[in-house]
Amino acid sequence: MTTGSWMRLTAGLWLLRKAVMAAPWLLLGAALIAAWPLTLVMVAGYIAAWWRGWPPVRLGRAAVWALAGSAVWLLAGVVHHRAWRAAALAPGRAWEHSWPPHPVALAAARAFVLLAPATVAAGLGLAGGVWAWRKYAITTGLGGITPSAPIKFDARQWRRQVRTAKGLTEAPGAVPLLARGGRIPVGGTIRAIGHRWDAVFALPATACARHMVIVGATGSGKTNLMIRLWAGWFTATLQAARAGRGNRPLLVVLDCKGGRDARHKADRTRRLLYGAGARRVMIWPDEARLSLWDLPAQDLAVLLYQMIETGTGAAAYYADVMQAVLTLAVTAPGGPPYNATAFLDRLDAKWLARAWNDGRHRREADLVHAAAKHLPDIQLRFATLLERLGPALDGPDTLADADAWYFILEGTREPSVAQAQAMALTELAAHAATDQNSEPRAMLLAADDYSAVSGRVPLSNLYERGRSLGIGVQVSAQSWQGLGATDDERYRIAATADGGIFVMQTPYPEPLTQLAGTHRVLETAHKLIGHHWGNEGTTRLQRASTADPEIIRHLSIGQACYIHHGAATFVQVARPKPSPLSLLPPPAQPVVQVPTPRDEPAPAPWPRSSPGSPPATRDLDDIFGPGAAS
Amino acid sequence: MIHNPFAALGLPERPDLDDETVRAAWRAIAAATHPDRADGGDLARYTQATAAYAELRTPWSRSEAYADLVEQAWREGRYDDYSLDPDGTGPGTEPLPAGPAAAPLPRRLRSPLELLLALTSIPSRIRRGRPLRLLIRAALAAGLSVAVLALIPGQPAAPADVAIVITWFALTGRKDLAPPPER
Repeated sequence: MTTGSWMRLTAGLWLLRKAVMAAPWLLLGAALIAAWPLTLVMVAGYIAAWWRGWPPVRLGRAAVWALAGSAVWLLAGVVHHRAWRAAALAPGRAWEHSWPPHPVALAAARAFVLLAPATVAAGLGLAGGVWAWRKYAITTGLGGITPSAPIKFDARQWRRQVRTAKGLTEAPGAVPLLARGGRIPVGGTIRAIGHRWDAVFALPATACARHMVIVGATGSGKTNLMIRLWAGWFTATLQAARAGRGNRPLLVVLDCKGGRDARHKADRTRRLLYGAGARRVMIWPDEARLSLWDLPAQDLAVLLYQMIETGTGAAAYYADVMQAVLTLAVTAPGGPPYNATAFLDRLDAKWLARAWNDGRHRREADLVHAAAKHLPDIQLRFATLLERLGPALDGPDTLADADAWYFILEGTREPSVAQAQAMALTELAAHAATDQNSEPRAMLLAADDYSAVSGRVPLSNLYERGRSLGIGVQVSAQSWQGLGATDDERYRIAATADGGIFVMQTPYPEPLTQLAGTHRVLETAHKLIGHHWGNEGTTRLQRASTADPEIIRHLSIGQACYIHHGAATFVQVARPKPSPLSLLPPPAQPVVQVPTPRDEPAPAPWPRSSPGSPPATRDLDDIFGPGAAS
Repeated sequence: MIHNPFAALGLPERPDLDDETVRAAWRAIAAATHPDRADGGDLARYTQATAAYAELRTPWSRSEAYADLVEQAWREGRYDDYSLDPDGTGPGTEPLPAGPAAAPLPRRLRSPLELLLALTSIPSRIRRGRPLRLLIRAALAAGLSVAVLALIPGQPAAPADVAIVITWFALTGRKDLAPPPER
């Protein structure tokens, strides 16, 4: 073999090898060119998904919707050609006419619209598949040029997903207070891991009727989220009640920090609830007062006892005396006291003796006699407590009088008073939930920053109380630590949140994200050659956090992660607004009654000027000149 | 500096301004500052006012802009600058009189007539949503449909293409409408 023939043979073999390697790509390229209308739709769909941060499923759903056009096409084809065969061949003929010698631009446009009923659905479906493959390849480390490709890809996609979700939440009709099927829209979905992806993330109203935890630092948008959930739950429950599928709603909100912010929040909540169909929303203690004395006598006695600091050790003796006296005062034969004054009047030896000394209650009469010397002290302590509590628990209203109650507790300014009020209000809510004599109501008890008043009633108690009474409980805290005093209590609250956990920006989300669990991911290790990947490596199965704590730590205002059933959805919460069409007109202004003129007695004649009286007009003229008095 | 479209138009910061008031304020500024004026106008002021007008043009956007101002003020601790209802008597924030809460709840049943009546609220929903965007979508959908019908008249693909365009319009245009009542 000569050198020349050897070189020709080598070059030929090299070319053949390259041709074999390139053949699939060339075939693919040829197919893409041949099916250019399909390729066009596919590329457009892929670019849209990449640019907008859509998940592949969105393209898939768009493809399904586009099938409506395909169905119309088939139907119209059958009608037009009077035969299935001709209808089926029509796309082929259209494609054939899109190539030269036919005029290219117009023919191409014509061919595209002729084929669109088939290519739109198929192209979007293919784009979804290609986009899914691309995401899979990048996240598993199979794709990308540089080792940092997965990180950059994920960061870029997150930014785009956030932008798309924000755009959606700004649209007036995208995130209403209530969606179809009684679902409560929360906001635009940024990313769903394990949950079904929908452009607008919505919760079933029943999730709010269970138990829900919301954790987020100050300024993270917690208030917006909570108000949206309240308004959504109220709207859904009211509509279900109107349709005869449940009880009328009763929303009870405990705003445990108080202050001016709480007033604004209460006002905003009320406006939303009015828009949602509520007729009475009461703000306590500013505009409405509840009656503590409506509680059943035994419950009232226990509550009054719990509201006072009693101490332990030697003080336990006095605590027992106080409990006995309270029970005697509240359960006296005449019935429980009807207000604070009546209650304080009863903490008197003579009153108690008169009440119990009827010959039928000898034991109680003896108790009164034994405790007589402690009664002035007990009366003094309760007089002080009730005075500090103010008149807000001594009023005429009951919880059943309104559709929603917004309780403002000054947990920051007066923690001890707020703690006592919280106990009383919780007891009243529990009574309203179990009262057999009043209309049954679907109740949601929401405690915002309950840790501010949880001194004597831990949050877990409130939570478990709500669970046992069958009412929905929603609690919020600024941090994991704010949920309870011990890790045991915190876990008890978080782990039983069967309505889900919303985590907003917070510096320590790990305990909450652990509740979402992990999911399987593929991790590929590549051999690096220089700065680029070689063609060797390994892939192994790993587990990664479903709700990534790092993402949660860096969430922006209004972004939340919803954890439920071992899955997580990141969502951009939309500002809650009622439909502008349903805002109630402002309450009618009170009609000002113009007083009818009364027959006043005729004024007495001005007394004649006398020494020492003010000078008459005539005299001013004398001093300042003519006309000075006019 | 706080972005305040109300101030840019010299309007009081209220969410319940009507369209005419906002338009009149913009027209007055535009007439005085338009760059086509003989004195050259004031382009910066004109641009600022036009941007503010775009922001406050619909009732919905006014309430949004107002809510943004309130939130900004609260964040900065300026609680006295705003309340949700500037004069204290805004719509829907006053306690309602007692009585209706205790009244029996009216039953609501979905009847075809009710659904028909719901259609009558669509003009209001358009007006209180984002009518301009909706108009652009509608124009695009109409243009595409006309183009399809002109390119392939009488072909079976024509109604199918129009069906796809209508589907797109219905799916994407929904969010530009204000929510229906009680939503």
